[in-house]
This record gives sequence, structure tokens and C-alpha cells, in this order.
Amino acid sequence: MRVNPNPIADILASIALDQQIQETALAQLASGRRVNLPSDDPAAAATLSLNHAQAAQDDQFLQVISGVSARLQVADSTIGSVVSSLDRAISLGIEGGGATLSNANRSAIVTELQGLQQQILGLANTSFQGSYLFAGTASTTAPFSANPASPSGVSYGGNTGTNTLSVGQSFSVTVNLPGSQLFSGTGGDVFQSLQDLTVAVQNNTGIDTAVLGLRKAFDVVTTQRVFYGNVLQQLDAQQTSINSEKLQLSKQENAVGGADPAAAASAAVSAATARTAALQAATSLLNTSLFNFLK
Amino acid sequence: MGSLFSSLTIAVSALQAEQGALNLTSNNVANVNTPGYARQRAVFREGIPVELPPLVFGTGVVFGQPQSVRDDILELRLHEETQQQGQFDAEVQQLQQAQTGFQGTNDVGTQLTNFFNSLNKLSADPSSLPLRQGFLTAAGNLASSFQTTARSLEIQRTNIDQSVVQSVSQINTLTQQIAGQNQQIAALENVHEDAGVLISQRTESIRQLSQLIDVRVVPNESSISLTTANGALLVASSQSFALSAQVSPSGVQHIFSQGNDITGKLSGGSLNGLITVRDQSIPGLLNQLDTLAAGLSTTLNGIHRAGFDLNGVAGGDLFTPPPVGVTGAASSISVAITDPSLIAASSDGSPGSNGNAAALYNVRGQAVANGQNPFDYYASVVFNVGNGVATAQTESQASGQILQQLTDQRNSISAVSLDEEGANLLRYQNAYQAAAKVITTINDLTQAAVNLGTY
Repeated sequence: MRVNPNPIADILASIALDQQIQETALAQLASGRRVNLPSDDPAAAATLSLNHAQAAQDDQFLQVISGVSARLQVADSTIGSVVSSLDRAISLGIEGGGATLSNANRSAIVTELQGLQQQILGLANTSFQGSYLFAGTASTTAPFSANPASPSGVSYGGNTGTNTLSVGQSFSVTVNLPGSQLFSGTGGDVFQSLQDLTVAVQNNTGIDTAVLGLRKAFDVVTTQRVFYGNVLQQLDAQQTSINSEKLQLSKQENAVGGADPAAAASAAVSAATARTAALQAATSLLNTSLFNFLK
Repeated sequence: MGSLFSSLTIAVSALQAEQGALNLTSNNVANVNTPGYARQRAVFREGIPVELPPLVFGTGVVFGQPQSVRDDILELRLHEETQQQGQFDAEVQQLQQAQTGFQGTNDVGTQLTNFFNSLNKLSADPSSLPLRQGFLTAAGNLASSFQTTARSLEIQRTNIDQSVVQSVSQINTLTQQIAGQNQQIAALENVHEDAGVLISQRTESIRQLSQLIDVRVVPNESSISLTTANGALLVASSQSFALSAQVSPSGVQHIFSQGNDITGKLSGGSLNGLITVRDQSIPGLLNQLDTLAAGLSTTLNGIHRAGFDLNGVAGGDLFTPPPVGVTGAASSISVAITDPSLIAASSDGSPGSNGNAAALYNVRGQAVANGQNPFDYYASVVFNVGNGVATAQTESQASGQILQQLTDQRNSISAVSLDEEGANLLRYQNAYQAAAKVITTINDLTQAAVNLGTY
């Protein structure tokens, strides 16, 4: 059979193929990625698109968790201060109930109790980055204000709304407690009982009952405070779980879209060798013809 | 009876025949790189002998009509495979261009992620104006990534439309050329002359035409006709029939053959590749983008309207509502509000509520397009884009390999071999020298005969 006398096209095709393999391998080595275009591996590209979305979402969750945790910690320590103030008020109440106390001493206690009331009012109006922590969802205005017309001396202008925040694929936490629930929850009203105690000490009557009432309010606040500890703990656990999810995602990304450096390097080398060989074959083949020998 | 002069005539016939063969060899060598050239073979025939019973005398050699060495069936097969290759190459080229919008750091997928992340950020502190502004920016980026992707596909479609018109004019030039070649070939064949070289040229023209359109070669009595696979006439013997491109009601160029729309009836060639991408692939991608943009904006708008802005006023649309019937949703989507305080993040009317922002965020996992959430749907779009390119690439490679093999086969039959021509050159040279020697010898003998009387 007659042989194809014109192998240039074949040689060029083979050189081009080697070159393409070489370029692909080098691109993989340079980028560390096997899938640089959707057509490189359509199914992997689709998986990677989801993988990247989820990884970016996880980063966002971690950011949100750290922001919210800071706010919750501020709220928690604020309530801690409220608890100490209440503790002091209870001690003052017990002290004020003493039979040997002079009027002057009682009046000093009353002054301190009024100071504590102001202090707790200030704490209840704590804001974090411009939003009030205990205002429900009406967080742009201070929730508590002194109001002589109110029996407790304080009125609540916030609402009972709570916010929940997504901090995981299908996990969200409530991130605030309305001030009404904290400071005037069922079973004890902080401002009312403080007011009652102040009046009782002033009048030196019914102090024991007033102290009992303040204790109840104290219990309500400490019980509610558990909320912050719980949420912070949940966020902490969530942070750990997101970090391990991120690790999985990055493993998946490497498995699905990462280049195999060893394979890519050896492909690059063998393609280069093949290409050199093809080029050499081409030069010797293209220079050979009977005409070269006819002198 | 033979004579010295008849020997001389025989030697002259040999000189002429070898000279003809040398010409032919020279022509083959000259055309070694001419595309489509089929090598020609010298044909020597023995001269009709003179019978003078009981003797028979040869009358030398006759240089016959040279033969072009060509396998017509193989050429037809090559035309067909060239049409496949033309179609796949055009598809690969265009689809590769189309897929660039679906990768990188600014594609719809990335902006979707950023959009929902900024929404999550906003729900952590819904009354913060910087976060609200950040969310509006992310929404704007999402809208513009939809727009950019859709518009670049639309621009590509317009460019393809221009290529379609150019292809039609190339096809018309080639069919005209082939009709002219048919005429020349017929003229030569009518006077029994060799038309091999012209046939090679015509074969090459048909090959070029095959790159563009699905040609079928129909031999007729004295010539050939060309039609598309579907039967639209392109060339009948020496007459060509031009295709025309006209804008159809759908706004793109359609191809007409003698008044009939053959746009959807082509089956090969780069023209069909272009039309397939223009009329199927790109509209398919646009439709998927539109479905996603429309589903997303409708769902988000519904939720946004149910919430309250920073001033406690009920929310409006977040994105401009998609056009009825979805088409054009991606290229026209934009953010409907510019004032960050108008973002309806609140579900109870108070500025610190994030209830509605959280509801908007939950759209992330809700079915908004074809029963899929936005991320899953976009991932399936990415798959479709990549798969379209990868499939066309595979087909193009397969077709390329077949074409290569067929070309090798064709070359092994028809291509000029310089070795062969070199060897032939030697043969003809030697034969020519031998014939010349015969003439010299006869000349000597004639001289001897003339000088016989001088002794």
C-alpha cells in the first residue's frame, strides 16, 4: 500500500496535542486547581460552586457569631452588674430593718438605695454599638426612663420583640431578651421592688416584706441571665462545628477541584518529552526526500 | 519492412513521451503543497504496430491522457466529516466564549453568596446604616452580575448573527466558483481533454464549502449538482443558487434558499454550529438566568413587602419586578431602592427587629427556580454550561481524529510523493537519454549508409 507521503499534518497535530497537554498540566501546577473552567469538569464545577458558596457562608457565620458573642457578653456582664447592685440593695434592706438603726443611718441607706436605683436604670439602658441591649426590637431608643408618675418610678418604652439570627445552615439562635422580661418579669419587678424597699426604709415599716419582694426580683433576674450563658455556649459550640465543616469543605474542594501536583508534573514532563521527540522526528522526516540524494 | 527513418520516428516518439512525462513530474512536484491537488500519473501506450505479414513492426510510444489519482468515494466521505468538524469547531469556539461568564470571582454565584452573607450581617444589627448600605451594595452587585452575564450572552448572540451573514456570503462565493468550475470541466470533457486538475480544484472548493454548510454531491449526466442535506439546491451543473440571509420576526438572521427558510434544517458545517449556539445554547442559558433572576426577585420582593423599613413603614419592592413571562429578567434586574433606610428588615415595625431580614435570608434555602434553591439552581446552570462545552469539545476531537485518518487515507492515494517523483524523474531522464542515444546511433548509421558509395 502506498504510504501517506505528506505526514506534516499528522506531526503538527501530535505536536499541538502534546503542547495542549503540557499547557493544561502547567496551568494546573500554577493554579493548583484541576477545574479552572466549567468545561474542565462540569460536575466538579457545579459541586465547587456550591462548595464555595457554603464556605463563604461559613466565614460569614463565624463573623456574625463573633459579633453577636461580643454583644451577648456585654449584656451578660451588664446583668452581672445589675445582680451585684441588687445584692447590695438586699444587704442594705436587711441593714435598714435593724432595730437599733438611727434615723440618720436610715436616711443614708435610703440615699444609697436611690443611687442603686439610678445605677440599675443606667445599666438597663446599656447600648452596644448604638443599639440598646434591653429594648426588645425597639433598640434605637433608650428603653427605660425615670417617670415619677409610675408606681415604680421608671417606665419601659421598649417592646417585647426578640431577634433570631442564623448562625448555621439550619441553626438560628435568639439573640436578645426584652428589658420588660428581665427587669419586670413574672414574679418580680426590679424597679418596683427597689422603690418599695426605699419607701419601706424611709418609713421604717414593712422592710422585711420589701426585702422579700426584692429577693424575688433578684431571682427573676438571675434566672433570666442564664439565657445569655446558654446562647454563648451554643454559639461557641456552633463555632467549633462550623470550623470543622470548613475543614471538610476545603478537603472536598481539594478532592474535587484540586490538581494532583505529582500527576500534573509528570504529565507536563512526559508531554514535553513527547513534543521534543515529535519535533525531532519532524525535522528528520521533513529533510528527507530522494531529491536530497540526487546530485 | 523497417527502415532507419522509421526507427528515428520511434525514437522521436519516445523523446516526446518522456518529455511529456517529465512535464507531468515537474507539475506534480510544483503542486506538492497545493491543497486538494491529486497527483497525476503519466500514461504510456504502445504505438499501433504496423503489420507487414509475416512481420509486425512497433511504431514507438504514445503519451496518453494523464490520470489524476483520486478516490471519489473517499473524497465524499471527507466532505461529510469536514461538515461535522466545521459544526463542532464553531460550537466549541462560541460555547467557550459563553462559559467565561460563569466562572471567576464576579459571577452570579459569587454575588449570590455575597448578597445572602450581607443579609446575614444585616440581621445581626438591623438598624445599622452602614450594614444596610452594605446590603444595598451587595444587592446592586448581584443585579449587575445578572445583567453583565445576560448582556454579554446577548452581545455574543448578535455577533454570531453577523457571522451567519458572512458565512452565507462565503457560501455564495464558493457555490458560484464551483458552478464556474463545472462549466470549465464540462467544456474540457466535451472535447475529451483531461480535466483532472480542474476536478482537483473543484474538490477543494467543495471541501471549503463543507466547512460552512452540509453539502451533498449529486453526480448527474455530465457534471455534478450540490444540495444541502435537506435538499436545498446550491449548484446545478454550471448554475449556482445563492442563499440569502434575512432578518426573521424573532430578530435574528434566517437562511433562505429560493424563498424557503432552511435555517432549522441544516445538519452540518460551521453555519449550523453558529445557528445551534445562537438559537439553542445561548437562549437556553439566558432562559436559565432569567428563571433564576425572576424567581429570586419575585420571592424576595414578596417577603420585602411584608416587612417594615427603618421608619416603620411597610416595605416596597427590593428589586424591580421581573417582566411578565420571565424573558429578559436577568438583563433588566436592578435594585428598586437607593435609600438604605427603606430596607424592610423589620417584621414588627420597630427599627431593631430583624425578623424580615431573617425571612429574606431564608430564601437562600427556598425553592425559587424550578423547585430548586438559588444556589442549587445556579450550580445546575454551571453544570449545563460546562457540559455543553465539554460535549462539543469531545465531539470535535472525535470528528477531528476521523478527519485526520480520512485525510491520511486520501493523502496516501492522492498526495504527491517527492520520493516517487524523484524516482520517476530518473526513469524518464534515463529513457529520454536512451532515446536520444538511439537517434545519435541512427544518425551514425545514416551517415555510414550515405558514405557507402565513397569507397
